[in-house]
Amino acid sequence: MNKALKNPLAFTLFVLPALILFLMFFIYPIFSSIYYSLTSWNGVSDTVKFAGLTNFKKALGDERFWISAKNNGMFILFSVFIQVPMIVIFSLLIANVKKLKGLYKTAVFMPSIMSTAVIGILWGFIYEPNIGLLNKIIGLVGIEPIYWLSDERFAMISILLTNAWQWTGFYIVMVLAAILSIPGELNEAAMIDGATGVQRATKITLPLIMPIITVVIMLSIAGAMKAADIVIVMTKGGPAGTTEVMATYMIKYAITNFKYGYGNAIAVLIFMFTLLVTALYQLLVARRNERIEY
Amino acid sequence: MKKSITMILSLIFVTSAVLTGCGGNNNAATKEKVAPAPEVKTEEKVSEEPFEMTIRHTQIGADKEKRFAILQDVVKTVQADVPGLTFKLDGVDSDVNRKEKLRGEMAAGSTPEIFELFGSPDSRIYAKESKLLDLTPILAELGIQDKFSNLDPFTYEGKVYGLPIGGSGEGFFYNKGYYESKGWKAPTTFAELDKQLADIKADGKVPMAGASKAGWVPLMLANHLWSRFAGPDVTNKFATGEAKWTDANVVQGFAKYKEWVDKGYFKKGELGFEYAEYTTQFTSGEAILMYDGTWKSSVFKAGQSGEGLIGKVGFFNLPAVEGGAGDQTALMRDVNNGYGFSAAVANDPRQLAAVTSFIKNFYNEQMQLRGLVEDGVLPSMKIDQAKLNENITDGLMSEIVAVLNASQSSFPAFDSLVQADVTTEISNIQIQSLIGGQTTPEKMGAALQKVQDEANAAVE
Repeated sequence: MNKALKNPLAFTLFVLPALILFLMFFIYPIFSSIYYSLTSWNGVSDTVKFAGLTNFKKALGDERFWISAKNNGMFILFSVFIQVPMIVIFSLLIANVKKLKGLYKTAVFMPSIMSTAVIGILWGFIYEPNIGLLNKIIGLVGIEPIYWLSDERFAMISILLTNAWQWTGFYIVMVLAAILSIPGELNEAAMIDGATGVQRATKITLPLIMPIITVVIMLSIAGAMKAADIVIVMTKGGPAGTTEVMATYMIKYAITNFKYGYGNAIAVLIFMFTLLVTALYQLLVARRNERIEY
Repeated sequence: MKKSITMILSLIFVTSAVLTGCGGNNNAATKEKVAPAPEVKTEEKVSEEPFEMTIRHTQIGADKEKRFAILQDVVKTVQADVPGLTFKLDGVDSDVNRKEKLRGEMAAGSTPEIFELFGSPDSRIYAKESKLLDLTPILAELGIQDKFSNLDPFTYEGKVYGLPIGGSGEGFFYNKGYYESKGWKAPTTFAELDKQLADIKADGKVPMAGASKAGWVPLMLANHLWSRFAGPDVTNKFATGEAKWTDANVVQGFAKYKEWVDKGYFKKGELGFEYAEYTTQFTSGEAILMYDGTWKSSVFKAGQSGEGLIGKVGFFNLPAVEGGAGDQTALMRDVNNGYGFSAAVANDPRQLAAVTSFIKNFYNEQMQLRGLVEDGVLPSMKIDQAKLNENITDGLMSEIVAVLNASQSSFPAFDSLVQADVTTEISNIQIQSLIGGQTTPEKMGAALQKVQDEANAAVE
């Protein structure tokens, strides 16, 4: 087998299918998108007019695009500073339960296999101002009903909470797998040395699962940058565009208006922003946590 | 040696598979070439080989069951009429079809043969790019070219590229039971309407249904209001620059809407409610009035969500505004929802025959009356008044027809008259900002005019 792989022809043969698929479905669309972002095209016509950087200038000069970009930033901040710590805490708790561990794992994982449309409807009921669960609960302590999805002060946070609820379980399962793969001897030795549960969690478990936490943060950032479906289902970007994210901005202001050139420019900007944020994260944080040596 | 041969063979296999996948679709390319004028050669022996065609429709959900039943009956008739034909029905949400699926398919040249199509501006954009079948010869062949009330939204450079399924008018549905309990009648003046709204509010009820998560829902009423104050033709003048969104009369229309919002005449939290909730507020008796299109009458039929209100719902036009410009009886009417056909159909005589049969069986007096009676959709074709009266048996439909007859003119909804950018701005931002209190009528007019000016300049 090793001998066969040393043969350049065999090597090419094995690499070729993956390479072709990668070129067809990843590289080609990126370059195609960059090409169309420099044009004025209605998405239907055979005539594609070159427009230079007009589309980019328009997007970067549009206040609504920046509101959308800011909302993507909110997704990232919420994921990194609220969702990820919750994921770690829940993972540590579930890892240490003695009974029904499987049930807990299944229960937390369930939302991530549900479709966003279903989640939108489900949470739509929870946020319903008159009969919704949330307002019923806060009503018990005398708080007036909150119009979660129609009040601009609460709409974004409502979406962020729903999004977190949908994906937390998926990441918990990943972190849990990392926790359970830590050799038991390490914890046992610490216990013999008199370490408390909190000490073991912070001094042994957390440092050892940092690589997977780094991956979780990375995936959260990438997911936050391309968020769209949850916004469409819950608020359609409203009220008055306050919950718009870059992807929904692209759909509303470009695709539905027959401005595919502009739409592609937005897509390129989303790609560039994502690349920038993830590259910065990789350089500043992730690389430090790459290796674990037992 | 044996290993090398196996490897080479494998390489050839993989390469050929990839090349096959990358290969151009000659059939699709041929499909895109449009024949100048379709001809149905009936004398040639027609092949009976099985073939399939797709109909993209938007008749999904309980409220559209009747309309779907009509389509299914037409499908059966056409399948019997055209040997070998099997229709595949592809049901999609109307917004998804219009704004996502169809556009992508138009770009890729892979539209279904028959599909629901929005008249203006969509059909004109597609027609300009030769993506739609020119129906003019088929209409002439069937002798129905003059039978439609209005084909303007589907006409481009004198040729017809789509046919409206039905028409619609917009006005107030009202709860007759409530009105009778108060000893009221449908308002005939604007002041009377204003007084009734205030009294309903004072009675602890919601005067008007509200669900503004999608901007087009509140814009139905807002559109009618600014057209009452500034005239029914004002929206038509925005794109030409003859009128401005900042004109005092237009702003007055926005201000009236805002006044009703501020007085709490719509259900609180409306910005978070979907269109389905709009109907529920009315059918549950929570809201006494609902401004909506005549298509909504289908809900008040047996087996539908508004069954409990059969015989208890009335309809009236927005009353005349004192000092308002132009015809104060003008009704907002549209014939924008219709069927279009892929240009590629012209290259296949059997598909063309199927399309001709579809048009013949769908667009006739019988089906139009069926749509009116069963589904509450106004005919898009000219029907003799006596026949109409003969077929209308329910009170609500009689009231709708009476309102239509009483209006002396009509105007289309704003989204078929202004550029897409302006529609986006008013639907997604401005109307919701007005309802949410983040803008004023004056600022709203100014913001819209800014987008309008940019859109007008882009056209020039």
